[in-house]
Amino acid sequence: MRRMPIILAWVMIGCLISAGVAEAHKVSIFAWVEGGTVYTESKFSGGKKVNGGKVEVFDKAGTLLLEGQTDPQGQFSFPVPKVGDLNIVLTAGMGHKNSWLLTAADMGLGDAKPAPQPPSAAAPGAVEPAVGTAPAGPGLSAQEVEAIVSRQLDQKLQPLARTLALAQDKGVTFGDVIGGIGYIIGLVGLGAYVRYRRQGHGS
Amino acid sequence: MHISEGVLSGPVLITGAVVALAGTAAGLKKLDLEQVAQTGILSAAFFVASLIHVPVGPSSVHLILNGIVGLLLGWTAFPAILTALLLQAVLFQFGGITTLGVNTVIMALPAVIVYYLFGPLILKKPALAAAAAFACGAGAVFLGALLAGASLMFSEGGFLEVAALLVTAHLPVMVIEGLVTVFCVAFLKKVKPEMLPGYKTSLGQ
Repeated sequence: MRRMPIILAWVMIGCLISAGVAEAHKVSIFAWVEGGTVYTESKFSGGKKVNGGKVEVFDKAGTLLLEGQTDPQGQFSFPVPKVGDLNIVLTAGMGHKNSWLLTAADMGLGDAKPAPQPPSAAAPGAVEPAVGTAPAGPGLSAQEVEAIVSRQLDQKLQPLARTLALAQDKGVTFGDVIGGIGYIIGLVGLGAYVRYRRQGHGS
Repeated sequence: MHISEGVLSGPVLITGAVVALAGTAAGLKKLDLEQVAQTGILSAAFFVASLIHVPVGPSSVHLILNGIVGLLLGWTAFPAILTALLLQAVLFQFGGITTLGVNTVIMALPAVIVYYLFGPLILKKPALAAAAAFACGAGAVFLGALLAGASLMFSEGGFLEVAALLVTAHLPVMVIEGLVTVFCVAFLKKVKPEMLPGYKTSLGQ
């Protein structure tokens, strides 16, 4: 009991020195698209966000298109490069690496026309004048309606897209843990059986 | 400590796999009937320990427990840790299948080293034994961080830089594991001293 303060002091020194250094087994990166911008979010298995991780974006052929660093919230975003499938690779240091494949369909590049809006025009304020200036009814061309609808949908669906992307990581489940322990118990049984036979109890 | 897929170069992966295979073969050869259950229990403990995230300061660390596994198992730590890491890779996506060998060496080789370094001191006087147990738990993590640094130096720049980063990140784990090992050894000494290394030889004297 007398040693407790010393122990606590050591633990606190350890915390201070290691402040800001993340440690985990696994790192994950998630990506989704909203209004012509690709958003990514990166985190470690403990739920901590990756700060200053290197994000590299490759096209299908493996050429590096662009790279950047995650901010303290683990986020990094870039405008959609119009080249088809993207492989987004995160390197978080100390041997942690993961990637996310963003297909052309995810980015709305599947159809012939390019992404409808530059991200700057996606601000909520920009919607009103667009509707206001256009004459109602027949004056509004099909393209304009399409652009407005798609812009609005992007905005409304953005939180959903993020939730869906983040839901890809199911994390560690209780079933996995129990299953793993079950495997080990099975191996113990197998090992005991083999050794038992070998040590002459078999026949 | 779990190095992900696609970070290491081929030669490092192959070296890791060969060393892990040799260690596992040595461990299985030394495994006798009485030790099978103990190996399984420690393998399960190692498997689960990585899930325990200790929130120290702003970061969260996890237990590794390779020191206590090594102290109680010696060379058999290799198969025990290999099994646990394989299950972690398959079930939790920690590390990966290609890096299994390297990760096994990173965690199991220090376990064997501390077994030989500190194992003989565990049954000495209480103060010395406690110090040895602490060094065993903390040292295994420290050596693991050095080995991880050595395997990463070919892909992430200088050894000193990476190793320093890894050792700093693991300082809290070293302290916690040192304490865990001290308490485990003290407990086993009272309850089941025959599990500790060197017990049989000390009886013979």
